[in-house]
Amino acid sequence: MPAAGGQKRERWRPPRGRHRLPPEVIARSQRERLLEAAIRVVAAKGYAATTVADLTREAGISRTTFYAMFDDKEGCFLAAYDGIVDALVRRVATAYEGEDEWPQRARAGLAALLEALTEEPEVARLALVDVGSAGPAAQRRFRAAMQRLTPFFDEGRDFAPGGRNLPANTSRMAIGAVTGLIADELTEERAEDLPRLLSDVLFATLVPYIGPEAAAREVGEKER
Amino acid sequence: MPAGLDQLDEPLVEHSQRERLLNAMARSCAKKGYGATTIADVCEGAGVSRATFYELFKDKEDCFHASMEVALADAMGRIVAVYSPDKPWATMVRDAAAAFLELLASRPTFARMALVEAPASGERAFELYASGKRVLQSLLERGRDDPVEERAIPSTAGRAALSAAESLIVGQILAGNTARLRELLPDIVYITTVPYLGQEEALRQARAAEKVAVPADG
Repeated sequence: MPAAGGQKRERWRPPRGRHRLPPEVIARSQRERLLEAAIRVVAAKGYAATTVADLTREAGISRTTFYAMFDDKEGCFLAAYDGIVDALVRRVATAYEGEDEWPQRARAGLAALLEALTEEPEVARLALVDVGSAGPAAQRRFRAAMQRLTPFFDEGRDFAPGGRNLPANTSRMAIGAVTGLIADELTEERAEDLPRLLSDVLFATLVPYIGPEAAAREVGEKER
Repeated sequence: MPAGLDQLDEPLVEHSQRERLLNAMARSCAKKGYGATTIADVCEGAGVSRATFYELFKDKEDCFHASMEVALADAMGRIVAVYSPDKPWATMVRDAAAAFLELLASRPTFARMALVEAPASGERAFELYASGKRVLQSLLERGRDDPVEERAIPSTAGRAALSAAESLIVGQILAGNTARLRELLPDIVYITTVPYLGQEEALRQARAAEKVAVPADG
């Protein structure tokens, strides 16, 4: 939730007035504050209702500083969005690469994704649901973000015995299935239930590559 | 009957001011998005006065909702029409998917409104979109040849498969490839049937779908 304008914050800020911090350090900290503020404000008010004034107030920066960094609200939101996606993809990649066989890699990656989204439900909603209402550029950004998961799914093709014969769009569709199931939970305000979705998203990921019997076996393996 | 689709059989009055406004709303949303569309855009596109707009609709959202409602009823009617208890399930899924893709490809304005704008344009529009999706889901899950209880597939498999197909379609729409949506039929047949039929049979169905002559509009 965004704090009211004049409220004291605990986060560190460079002291006002004359100080000795190098300008690039101050600029970076202002940018980071602004991007964090953008996520909080858009998550709370929605993209359409958010104004540049909301963002500068929440971040505690001046309008001039804002326009030195971004052309408009959209540019700022998209930069914030990219930051969220980067963090999510890094977390998924780390978990995924910690396992050997593809189905276990997929399980670990999906579990990490659900865990990250559960920790920050507002960010999750913003990343997967609200982004749809932030205009065509944001929607395309969302598609591009989803496609960054493609390499993790494409490995299923190499793993599956008949992987070469699968439709060219298999990975795209599997990603759509996973994000669709997650978005449905978030739309129903059930972010806290996301970890329980693991067996369903794992099945949706595996089934086009290895078929329903093998997918159900893999899903069942660690559950009992 | 899912909520939101029970009042959809209202006939379109040809060339009425209301119909012109509904079409203008859909066109403007396709062009600049729902968020950026103004009532002035809609009135201008329809050649209808602002006063008339407010006689017919409460506000922009009301008009969008009505536009989506009429278009969706028509779309669902066409898709549900392919259902027949005599057809094998996989054939029915293929025909429904073909009818849906044909509809979207031939009506890009509706395609954008229904799949890009409606899910992100307020609660009422979202509910309509969701009700349309539930119809497709029940169509997919109805009359499967294979009783699902015999396999340990999750109850969300149908919903997941639909989201997969939707994501592929929306990606093409956003990339400006709406006219080429028909080409996705084999992939969509594969992803919607594989949880139920297994890989070998789903691939066979997908290959068969490559040869399907897409039925003409209507």
